[in-house]
Amino acid sequence: MEARIILQIQILWNPNRQSFRRPCLHLPRFFIRASSSTSQKPRSYKGPKPSTNLVADFISRNDDLARSLPIYVGGASLLAVLFNRTVSGIAPVADASSSQSRADLLALGLAVTNLLTGLVWLSIRPKSITPVNPEGVDCKVVDSDLPTSIVSELLWGWESLKLATCCKSLVIVYNGICLIQIGMVAESPQDKKRVVVNTDKLMQGSVYRGVMKSKAQSYLANLSLYPGRSELPFLPANTQAVILQPLGDKGIAVIGGNTIRGFTSSDQAWISSIGEKLDATLGRYFVDSAEVSREKD
Amino acid sequence: MSIRICNLPFNSSFAPQPRARISSRRSTRVFARTENDTQQQLNLSVLRFTFGIPGLDESYLPRWLGYGFGSLLLLNHFSASVPINEPQLRSEALGLSLAAFSIALPYIGKFLKGSVVEQRTLPEEGEQVFVISSNIGDSLKEDLAWATYVLLRNTSTIAVLVSIQGELCVRGYWNCPDQMSKAQLHDWFKKKVDEIGLADVKETLYFPQYEGSSASWDILPNGTRSLFVQPFVQDINEQQKMNGFLLVASTAGYAYSDKDRAWIGAMAEKFRG
Repeated sequence: MEARIILQIQILWNPNRQSFRRPCLHLPRFFIRASSSTSQKPRSYKGPKPSTNLVADFISRNDDLARSLPIYVGGASLLAVLFNRTVSGIAPVADASSSQSRADLLALGLAVTNLLTGLVWLSIRPKSITPVNPEGVDCKVVDSDLPTSIVSELLWGWESLKLATCCKSLVIVYNGICLIQIGMVAESPQDKKRVVVNTDKLMQGSVYRGVMKSKAQSYLANLSLYPGRSELPFLPANTQAVILQPLGDKGIAVIGGNTIRGFTSSDQAWISSIGEKLDATLGRYFVDSAEVSREKD
Repeated sequence: MSIRICNLPFNSSFAPQPRARISSRRSTRVFARTENDTQQQLNLSVLRFTFGIPGLDESYLPRWLGYGFGSLLLLNHFSASVPINEPQLRSEALGLSLAAFSIALPYIGKFLKGSVVEQRTLPEEGEQVFVISSNIGDSLKEDLAWATYVLLRNTSTIAVLVSIQGELCVRGYWNCPDQMSKAQLHDWFKKKVDEIGLADVKETLYFPQYEGSSASWDILPNGTRSLFVQPFVQDINEQQKMNGFLLVASTAGYAYSDKDRAWIGAMAEKFRG
């Protein structure tokens, strides 16, 4: 919106003046338009507002009830048809001779359809798995040599993982350095503090080597079944699922979650995209800093 | 004690089979064993079947049966002899209401957890555009190119628009005039966005069943069914954050689940600064 300043300058007729040559009033008006982009308010939104869908909300909230609803409807109508027959004194014979029986048969057919649909819905109910709180200490350790832009990108990655997935721990190792260790971390029994990531031991282990060789994301949906668990001692002991995302061929991101099979395929796709982005950013930074240190020597 | 009904697996999934098979016979074995839990383990997956015809969605079967049986009921009603007695009227009313409920069943099933999400279809006409404002720095341009690419790939989005402090990045299928240079196209989009007033939106807007709207929204491609607008969250305490919004559109209805919207919010957070 533009601020319009209307300036009115009136020259009043001064009655004390001796000369009466100009008795009229001068009223020049000046319109000054002041519009600067920084103070411009955006035009107000003139579009549709989202409407609430009551059916969708009810069903999403009462999933179990909605799944068994067709069973109840089908069962109740079956009983209602039989009751109708007995009440009106007609023998409950299922043949298509009279139009009454035909109508009853059709209603029975629909009741059976509803029953079967309800049973199918019950069979495809996804198993709900309860998340397990990771045992450990909360920590946020970022390598101090990194510039702020890289740190903010890593922290953005952590925040989005924490918000959108069941991720509770994140460790990124690149070029042999542990860049970030954030979230829930295993507590070392000796000094009750966080377990420091031993990057040499990690990079020599089979887990890291396997991921680097395959150059693909590795999803350990149920970590307790995996023998390589001992190579990730920095994760809380009861971490349920882990995603190992290679960052190019120089680094790895270890993402720990609190639910078995907690990362969906959409999560996996997003994590691999973020891994590629982080690899591009980190790769460029480390190449630049390597060149700078080479120039200094 | 729990009773387990084991059925020999017979077409126990919705995946289309190479040969058309209708499950009509199944043999069952029932055996009981003692267990500590009191839950009854019923293997109901045998009830799921497929005709094997590609493109035929068996989850819509209740709807077709509802239409078919409902019309047969009406036919029966009108072909019956005129003095229709009351019990018949009662069962016909019951049958018709059951038919109506069956017709609505696939719609209800769409909202259950674990239901299959519709796939997006690419619009037939129109081409893809990719326009970035020239007033944006190189690193931000790279971030925008990556973010729009990822949104188009990982969600069922076909059109993306990101606005940062008024400067736009547009990618995907849009309903825009062709034969325009990139700079002209950018200004055209900017004008349209100003008309709608999207910069003023304060909370997220989600239209899962978008039908088409007023004239200014015609920049969206034909066949858009879902629309999601995510403004950059404004915090009074943080003055140096950028303002703007992120708009995604898809040709599939109910395309953006809670998880998709959480990820899109994370993308918007990246550009907030």
